[in-house]
Amino acid sequence: MKTCIACGMPMTEPADFAMGDITKAYCRHCARPDGTMQSYGEKLDSLSGFLVRTQGLDTGAAVDAARDMMARLPAWKA
Amino acid sequence: MAGTRRRTQKDQTRRHLIEVALEQFAQEGLTTTRTADIANAAGVSHGTVFAHFPTQEVLVTAVIEEFGARVSTRLHELAAGSTGLRDVLAAHLQGLKEFEAFYARLVIERRLLPESAQSTFTLIQSSISFHISQAAGKEMEEGTIHPWPIHLLFNTWVGLLHYYLANGDLFAPEGSVLERYGEELLNHYVGLTGVKRC
Repeated sequence: MKTCIACGMPMTEPADFAMGDITKAYCRHCARPDGTMQSYGEKLDSLSGFLVRTQGLDTGAAVDAARDMMARLPAWKA
Repeated sequence: MAGTRRRTQKDQTRRHLIEVALEQFAQEGLTTTRTADIANAAGVSHGTVFAHFPTQEVLVTAVIEEFGARVSTRLHELAAGSTGLRDVLAAHLQGLKEFEAFYARLVIERRLLPESAQSTFTLIQSSISFHISQAAGKEMEEGTIHPWPIHLLFNTWVGLLHYYLANGDLFAPEGSVLERYGEELLNHYVGLTGVKRC
């Protein structure tokens, strides 16, 4: 099973992939409207915003956690 | 050819160590289990553990990542056929039951863990909050649940589970907290969040 290289989400259905394209390595949540993958800055903003919205984390704690998580995902590994 | 065989063997040893560590951490705790205990239980030398995981922090983080990948994948599969919030929460409970002892340790010891392990825990929670927010958003639009902020909806559910899990010795000293109380907690939570129809 594939997981998104940019956020780690499991991708089991075509609808999970960016633009429904199963050859893509990233998911629909990590794609821009034109289908290209979001940049590091865009993903950091959206992931930390997601943590604040859905878990109620402090913004600074959310950014730190998001940065740490992203550092271990294939798309963002140094 | 020999290189491929060596790589396969190395991968197998790493997987075996993670499996044994999952079991040991569930039984003895993440912060108190020593790498020597894992080496003994795995039937390998202490040096082999360090060859794969240079520090205790790397090992703990790898094991939490493995646990997170399994729970997230299981929830993703179970939630795929879900029709509402209740189904997603039932899928969450089902996924956690399979790793209850380890998860309870993680909840109790989270703040004592290295930062990388704590972030991994937050990432695991985000895969759960994602499914809950998707199902809840739909039900809020339909007017079947109260329009609570998503973070309160998530934290109320997780807070309830974590209280029972962290105090499992009081609620279910002989067995599984989630087996014994899961259905009751689910019904209570659904009752709290649901809008009563006249």
